[in-house]
Amino acid sequence: MRIFFDPEVLAAAWPGIRSGIDVTLGLALSSIAAGVALGLVLATVRALIRGAPLRPVGGLIAAYADVFRAMPPLVLLVVLYFAAPFAGVELSGFMAAFVALGLVLGASAEEIFWAGITSVNRGQWEAALSTGLSRGEAFRRVVLPQAVRLTIPPLTNRAIATGKNTALASVVAVPEVLNQAASVQAQTASPAPLLLAAGVYVALFLPLVRAGRWLETRFPTR
Amino acid sequence: MSSVLELRGVGKTFARVPALRDIHLAVGTSELVGLIGPSGSGKSTLLRCCNRLTEPDAGEVVFEGNPVPAGGAELASVRRRMGMVFQAFNLYPHLNALQNAALAPRRAAGLSQGEAETAAREALERVGLGDRTTAMPDELSGGQQQRVAIARALALRPRILLLDEPTSALDPELVGSVLRVIRSLKEDGVAMLIATHEIAFAREAADRIAFLADGEILECGPPGEILDRPKSGRLQTFLSRL
Repeated sequence: MRIFFDPEVLAAAWPGIRSGIDVTLGLALSSIAAGVALGLVLATVRALIRGAPLRPVGGLIAAYADVFRAMPPLVLLVVLYFAAPFAGVELSGFMAAFVALGLVLGASAEEIFWAGITSVNRGQWEAALSTGLSRGEAFRRVVLPQAVRLTIPPLTNRAIATGKNTALASVVAVPEVLNQAASVQAQTASPAPLLLAAGVYVALFLPLVRAGRWLETRFPTR
Repeated sequence: MSSVLELRGVGKTFARVPALRDIHLAVGTSELVGLIGPSGSGKSTLLRCCNRLTEPDAGEVVFEGNPVPAGGAELASVRRRMGMVFQAFNLYPHLNALQNAALAPRRAAGLSQGEAETAAREALERVGLGDRTTAMPDELSGGQQQRVAIARALALRPRILLLDEPTSALDPELVGSVLRVIRSLKEDGVAMLIATHEIAFAREAADRIAFLADGEILECGPPGEILDRPKSGRLQTFLSRL
């Protein structure tokens, strides 16, 4: 038991892990915000484009969503960090993780928003347009508010997954919680820092999981 | 009588099936025209071609003397003055009755929030729902929801209302409340084009009735003529089955 909860090792690991919490939260919040915003913008563009000249844009958005939902975030991360420099693009570990997580969440978020938008009854569009609202106003005031209610539960789940995936950034030397714990573990050859890190992750994300469950009851899917 | 709305040779084909063929129909100022006919005869398509929710592929729709524009702000401006009421109400479920009726005055007609709410409140009072302004759609009966939908159109002070089977989705005991509102609008001189299965209502309230079958207007005239002395076999059969 002592080997897993060695107080001396834990005390030595805590300052690093404590600073890692800030990095983890910073990376999680920024990539969740960017991913959700990206998904919302793309789904909005896809919903509002009309007419032949712009139609391929909708196809491109759908293709982006498919490709990045098929891409493991870890693979995308190592490509951005280790391969992109050969193309002249040098990203810090944090930036590479931010971009990778944001792109992957953006793809899921786009599909979730799109599904919400298309599940709003066509009669809602027609009622709004029949009163002389522009397509943009009809979308913003009538369709999107209804779509968002449907997207909140699945979006919350994807956001939590993205938050947890910040641990992947440890492989590109971002000093977040897991990375800090692993470096102390390597120095001390003790598993205790890893267990501390696991506890920290649960403490960070359990409230979000709970909030997600509450949102699901608040905004039930029809 | 000058017409508010006139369809000149309007046609529409869906996947090679003609839904409307060479429709000629005019609605005069403060005139109520009833559209009757079997399900699938094209009544809804005809109404939807008026404000281009469905794009006609032949002929012309003329509103207040000008062709209805194909799109953009000009079409939106015509749609504001051509209220539409749907069979399924299509109220915005996330907005209360007042917000439903105030949205377009605020966001399409450009009134201030206060002016838009005043217009919405007046419209709700006119349909007898001045005391339910804060009710959400799912707290209202079907008849009340449809009256909110009528108020939503009225709040824009339209020149004509297009009503697509406004009572067909209602329980029988709620039909009367909606028809009473429509009658009172007629007394106030609102022009209306109504697709309906309520033949008794059409007889009593309509100035003219058009009978539609397979996308064509087979007969059009005063209710007494159409309902009591039908000329075509199709109309005779239709009336005998009611």
